[in-house]
Amino acid sequence: MTRYLLGQALSFLVTLWVVLTLVFLGMRALPGDAATILGGMDASAEQIAVIRERLGLAGSLGVQYVGFIGDVARGDLGDSLRERRPVTAVLLDRLPVTLALAALAFVISLAIGVGLGLLAGLKPGGLFDRVTTLFATAALALPEFWFGFLLILLFAVNLGWFPVLGLPPTGLSWQASWHLLLPAVTLAIPRSAQVARLTRAQVLEQRRADYVRTARSKGLAGHAVARHIAANALPGVLPLLALELGGLLTGTIVVEQVFGLPGLGATILGAISARDYPVVQGVTLLAVVVYVGVNWVADLLQLVADPRLRTA
Amino acid sequence: MEQARLYPRSPQRRPWRSAVLAVAFAALLGSASAQTLTMAMAAQPDTLDPQVTSATAAFQVAKSLYDTLVEVDQSGEIVPALAESYEVGDDSLSYTFHLVEATFHDGTTLDAADVVASLDRIRSPDTASPKASEFAAITSVEAVDDRTVVVHLSQPAPALLATLASGWGAILPSEKVASGHDFGNQPVGTGPFSFVSWQRDNAVTLAANPDYYQGAPQVDEVVIRFVPDSAVQLQGLLTGEFHVIDTVAAADQAQIESNPSLALVRDPSGLALVAALNTRRDHLADARVRQAFNLAVDSQTVLDVAYGGGTPIGTFMEAGSPWMPASIEPFAYDPEAARALLDEAGWDGSVTLDMALPQPYENHIQAGQMIQDYLRDVGVSAEIRIVEWGVWLSDVYGGAHDFDVTVIGHTGKLDPTGRLDGYGTEADNYPGFDDPEVAAWLEAGARETDVETRRELYANVLTRLHEGAPFIYLGTPDRVHARSADLQGFWITPMLDSFDFRTARFE
Repeated sequence: MTRYLLGQALSFLVTLWVVLTLVFLGMRALPGDAATILGGMDASAEQIAVIRERLGLAGSLGVQYVGFIGDVARGDLGDSLRERRPVTAVLLDRLPVTLALAALAFVISLAIGVGLGLLAGLKPGGLFDRVTTLFATAALALPEFWFGFLLILLFAVNLGWFPVLGLPPTGLSWQASWHLLLPAVTLAIPRSAQVARLTRAQVLEQRRADYVRTARSKGLAGHAVARHIAANALPGVLPLLALELGGLLTGTIVVEQVFGLPGLGATILGAISARDYPVVQGVTLLAVVVYVGVNWVADLLQLVADPRLRTA
Repeated sequence: MEQARLYPRSPQRRPWRSAVLAVAFAALLGSASAQTLTMAMAAQPDTLDPQVTSATAAFQVAKSLYDTLVEVDQSGEIVPALAESYEVGDDSLSYTFHLVEATFHDGTTLDAADVVASLDRIRSPDTASPKASEFAAITSVEAVDDRTVVVHLSQPAPALLATLASGWGAILPSEKVASGHDFGNQPVGTGPFSFVSWQRDNAVTLAANPDYYQGAPQVDEVVIRFVPDSAVQLQGLLTGEFHVIDTVAAADQAQIESNPSLALVRDPSGLALVAALNTRRDHLADARVRQAFNLAVDSQTVLDVAYGGGTPIGTFMEAGSPWMPASIEPFAYDPEAARALLDEAGWDGSVTLDMALPQPYENHIQAGQMIQDYLRDVGVSAEIRIVEWGVWLSDVYGGAHDFDVTVIGHTGKLDPTGRLDGYGTEADNYPGFDDPEVAAWLEAGARETDVETRRELYANVLTRLHEGAPFIYLGTPDRVHARSADLQGFWITPMLDSFDFRTARFE
């Protein structure tokens, strides 16, 4: 068990190091000089030089890299070049919004996806099945930004049921969940299609299994058989759900832009444009941690859900 | 026969009903008097400390939190503010300001020490203010008594009042300056509104300051929301979520004008829209070529189509400026004359110009495309390269000046030095315009206190800039914003473009 955990920890650290190095190099490979950009149109040459000095952008690439890795190892993510306050504060400010949005979208896509997938799979060829397949194909083709704007136009502008913008000015709160519904639906629909298709496939596979034939021949009622099928189908869907959750937590950029939500996606976009290196690095680090973490939890859940895997 | 109950049970038996009514009534009363003005703005402040930034967005918000010694009124004149009067010393080497009675949001009283602390702080190298050079002529600031401050200069500085009227002239409380207070995240000033909260990327919330020295504001709260997309801003205005929006796309103007519950406001702006020509390049070195480009482009049409309308200019100064010499006319639209001039100058038709256009600015990109078409009509080919803003700043506007043509707007400044500084020395301006006479006039103008002489000096500079044409002069667009029809008293400061909520009220 300890060997397993150590192995996981090591692979996580290596992944983190590789990704951070790629981001470090990638950001600095972007054309444009960070100090000039931060100085803006009105800054003189002397002022830009001062900015360069103060923000640690003056040293050679190697020096900056070593300093960066050393800082991260000590847990110091540095200060945002634009906001002049710790990156951790910046992340903590924005993280709750993205978390809430991703969580809501996940729950919705789970409900719709698994629900539809089960119903479709249990009665293959039926009306429900055909509708679900059609929905899945259409939903997968929807571009997020177009779908988001469409929802805003219909539900916020025309019907007035929802506010146009992402959050109330006081920030995240229970009332804010109403504000998050449209963006969450925008995120959830394409993902629920994936989930529905996989769930349906898993259910179909289970229906062909021997135990189903045995159960039916022994006279077990339809809904009871369905329960067994569902219970056996779901573990196969877990890895996809984990990927979806990880993807949601790191993939809200477009929706945050469309709905004006102050989350991590909006932050990293702005930071890349402004060459705010510490913030980009910080958000990436967070994304890696989240993604690896979610997948690890999914692995554990699979062990829980499927006893056959436990004796591996 | 039993009588049906004619009357409901007595109130004592149903106390909750009257309680609900009472609460509802109180809420109704309460909500009627708590007025919140919500504004949507496209850009976002980087900090709320007016001494460490040069970003317009920061000053747009800071305007409500801080005051300055003098300020710009609705007609663009510099008038007294925290200084109720001032005198200039006989040798023009000192300014004496007499302060009004005012209090800061933290309760401390405004006195001369606050002015000294603020002006010292912005000049201090530790603050590294991007606007520090505007205060360079100040040698010392002295508090004569609690209400009187004297600013001593090393040489006459006619632009000083303009600097003190700008957002970066804000007066901060001296005790907090001394204690190293974080004004960037917790602003404290004498302004009409005090700081409540700042949710980055979301909104800034401000509460009315009942002790404001010019009288308490007529709205209780101002919420400024950051909405980069003009389409989303418009949607919010239509649904009533926003009462004012600062960005109106040219294509949306008609829709707002035809809507009776909205109002479109057009003010003259201080913007000078230009297509800069890199005079360092061999093929652009001849002034006749650059003049020909000006004749080839129909600037009025470009203004109308790409920027929603405006007034053409003939030199590097905004239309309607008191510094614009009457003798300078905008270049006519004359493609024939342009071709003749290009022939005379021996234009090499095989050259393709490199036009770099800055990424998020749809209007500049559209203007660039129109200019490309106009140039093609007179036999000049140009290739467009869309450049991300950061790269534009680093490589086109700054750095190696890697462009032949680029399109950008230059914001208005209260004093001509702000706009024209450096435009005689090749290394100090991005089109590379070099003219030692112009440099000398600019230097003299920065020190000249006699208004007429000053006007003449800048008239000479502007005439040279017209003849030398380092730009294709487009014009000055209107500054357009939209508000709900029931909102009165909101205005945008001329030239500085900041938001003034002091007289804003709902009718």
